[in-house]
Amino acid sequence: MLRLSLIPLGLLVLLAGAMFWSGGAVERRADFTFINRGENKTLDLGVMSWMQDIRLAYQLWEGLYTLDPKTLEPIPGVADRIELSADKTVYTFHIRPTARWSDGKPLTSGDFIFGWRRMLEQPGEYTYLFDYLKGARNYEDAYGKWKEALAAWDKAKRQGSKPIAPDFGQVGVEAPDRLTLRVTLEHPVAYFPSLCAYIPFFPQYEPCMKAFAQLDSTGTYIASYDQSFTRPPNLVSNGPYALKEWSFKRRVRLTASPHYWNAGAVQSRVIDQIYADDALAQFRMYEGGGVDWLADVDGDMAADLLDKGRKDLHLIPAFGTYFYDFNCNPTLPNGVKNPFADARVRRAFSMAIDKRPIVENVTRTGEPIATTYIPRGVFADYVSPPGIAYQPQEAARLLAEAGYRGGAGFPRVRILFNNDFTQHGEVAQVIRRQWQQTLGVVLDLEGVEIKVFGDRLHQHEFDVCRGSWYGDYDDPSTFTDVYKSTSDNNNPAWKNTAYDELLERAAVEPDQHKRLKILADAENLMLEDAPIVPLFQYVGRYLYRDNVQGIPLDARQMIMMQSVKVDRR
Amino acid sequence: MFRFLLWRLAQFPLILLIIYVITFLLAWVAPGTPFEQTDRKLNPVALEQLKQQFHAEHWYTFLAYYPVKMVGGDLGPSLVYKGWSVNDILFTSLPISVTLGLFAMAIALIAGSFVGTLAAVRRGGAFDYASLFAALVGISLPGFVVAGVLIVLFSDKLHWLPSAGWGTFRQMVLPAVALSLMPLAYIARLTRASMIDVLNADYVRTARAKGLAREAVIWRHAFRNAFLPVFSFLGPAAAATLTGSFVVEKVFNINGLGQHFVNSVLNRDQTLILGTVMVYSLFLLTFNLLVDIGYAFIDPRIDVTAKAM
Repeated sequence: MLRLSLIPLGLLVLLAGAMFWSGGAVERRADFTFINRGENKTLDLGVMSWMQDIRLAYQLWEGLYTLDPKTLEPIPGVADRIELSADKTVYTFHIRPTARWSDGKPLTSGDFIFGWRRMLEQPGEYTYLFDYLKGARNYEDAYGKWKEALAAWDKAKRQGSKPIAPDFGQVGVEAPDRLTLRVTLEHPVAYFPSLCAYIPFFPQYEPCMKAFAQLDSTGTYIASYDQSFTRPPNLVSNGPYALKEWSFKRRVRLTASPHYWNAGAVQSRVIDQIYADDALAQFRMYEGGGVDWLADVDGDMAADLLDKGRKDLHLIPAFGTYFYDFNCNPTLPNGVKNPFADARVRRAFSMAIDKRPIVENVTRTGEPIATTYIPRGVFADYVSPPGIAYQPQEAARLLAEAGYRGGAGFPRVRILFNNDFTQHGEVAQVIRRQWQQTLGVVLDLEGVEIKVFGDRLHQHEFDVCRGSWYGDYDDPSTFTDVYKSTSDNNNPAWKNTAYDELLERAAVEPDQHKRLKILADAENLMLEDAPIVPLFQYVGRYLYRDNVQGIPLDARQMIMMQSVKVDRR
Repeated sequence: MFRFLLWRLAQFPLILLIIYVITFLLAWVAPGTPFEQTDRKLNPVALEQLKQQFHAEHWYTFLAYYPVKMVGGDLGPSLVYKGWSVNDILFTSLPISVTLGLFAMAIALIAGSFVGTLAAVRRGGAFDYASLFAALVGISLPGFVVAGVLIVLFSDKLHWLPSAGWGTFRQMVLPAVALSLMPLAYIARLTRASMIDVLNADYVRTARAKGLAREAVIWRHAFRNAFLPVFSFLGPAAAATLTGSFVVEKVFNINGLGQHFVNSVLNRDQTLILGTVMVYSLFLLTFNLLVDIGYAFIDPRIDVTAKAM
């Protein structure tokens, strides 16, 4: 009998061991626990562009300017004194002597130059924001050409002299001393403080990245960094928090950095971001009390909660638009001639969408219908263009004019969307039905995991796909810049020189009213050419109980967690 | 015994190799090879590096070299989740699945044999029929239904236990119970059947006749023999709980190995497929070996070595 009872006993011992191994059961509860909007894709500032990553970046890093925790307006961050020249083109930032990296080393002006230089030499999604810096654009182009020349030289068995790298000295950013950063702009930029408070302008810490550098084939320059540097304990940051843990699809844990210059003001010491890919599971975790803030409540669920009159549901008209992208390349990913390369086809598809059923039957939380790409009314003094209205007859006529009468001869295309939110699929179904009825074209739906989705979007491997853009800083250019020919976020691969010229004119226009007018013209041009079709303006949907304080109900949906406090009594 | 162990362990590499080759071929013949997928392109530089690193110029070189890497403990990068290695993924998720599986097995074994024994002893009584009914439900209802009912009952209505997530003991209870129901039902039925056989045996009657208490006879004399068939069921049960955890993991939002097992196949993530399959296989082989050893341990009459030779 003794022997027999050893069996369950052995099983229980194994179980206890496994529980310990799986890291549960014993850990301290975080001061603030939240579920972010989807899975984190990267914590490399150089390539970051998704909201869930940006949200974490604001906790981990701090720029020259940072965001006011309440109003989210830019306020001085790691720079405590900022001087602006009389012609408004030269900023001199004095970095706080108390500013430190999370490993205790002092933050220097060199860390900013390293990060900014990397943005130009290894262009990422936000490199275009550096075009405002004097000489930055030239340097980026020259550097890109030099990389090509070097590769050609290598291929030609290294005959002749090795190409020489362009001089970074031409770029308008310099460090007169360890704590001073002088930035020269091409022309006055009214919202430069907003830019400085934004992630691509954050400092990057070379010592923690060095070991992960991947050189090009000639061993001359750093082509990229192995993403392992973003994993704890490798990642070193300079913000209120340090990255303690990042478990795949499970949890990100942040702990207050003792070296942060304003560490005393940090309210929540330990922050957990829990991962849950299923909307219902997310909600159940919130209802169970294990989660304090649900940053992106599923639309269907929010609509139901709204009907029930739940007080902990908070809706915010957001700084973002939900739209569909048309691939504008000459061929589709499968090699077939792309009908969407013809603007008439894109316009026809845009006109054929009746957006009312989408917001009334699918999203159901009061989303405003969008005919414009830039949400109406979010920028003061900006007059939005009309955009394309719902005109089914005209749509059919245009498609016929483009050579596809009644959909005849139109290739069978696919609508790509990420399947982590059920509504994406539902919106796609509504649109597929409308396009089939109005235009006679046959479409397939393709839902993929968000990470796969992001990669394919970026590499233009889609026919039609769902898209969205959230503004990053306080100026319409945060939207319009995305569709510049050179922008890395230009997912439809839409190239229009007239549009680029308008943006360039707007950029140098000193008069704010005239500038906004030019930007509105640019938006109008883009809407009429229809690389995208706007569907509705996002509504932010938060769930948090009234024991949570410090979550700003702001259209940008950012949050500074050092000011968040949860009353657990 | 020692020889037997050695012999079984010596078989491991061979079995694993066969599993590896079959998995590899199945994954490779499926449309789209991992390195040149039809609908997704990798960055060419990264692709070259990856191919070199994994000797993937040809399928046969990859087939030959990947196990070498694997034995060295490097399962390579996931081909879909950029920036994550298969090691990272397994390291986070495997402990969770193992804990969940063991927890479910413990519940199934302890509760199952107890219920089965009681049902046998009170054969034809209310408890017997109730347990029969419960077992029927346990066997026929799929995991996601059971999980849903458990959530509604214990989480939504009674607010006793949380219904999602992983980390605290309280969070482990409901998923473990949901996962345990099927093996529990089987074990209960197995115990009952073999217990009824044993209770009719002569030595039980003798024990009762010489005046031993009923409980002592049942638990000390009868149960030990009745338990043997149940014990041999543990091997297949472990396989079922480990690989069957996918649905339960999904419902309770637990980021265990089960979902990567399924997603890796859907995503055609060759390295993650091979990684999860091999880890699962190793676990099941080890667990089966433990069951065999345990078998000999609880009943010394059984000569496990006889089977192997």
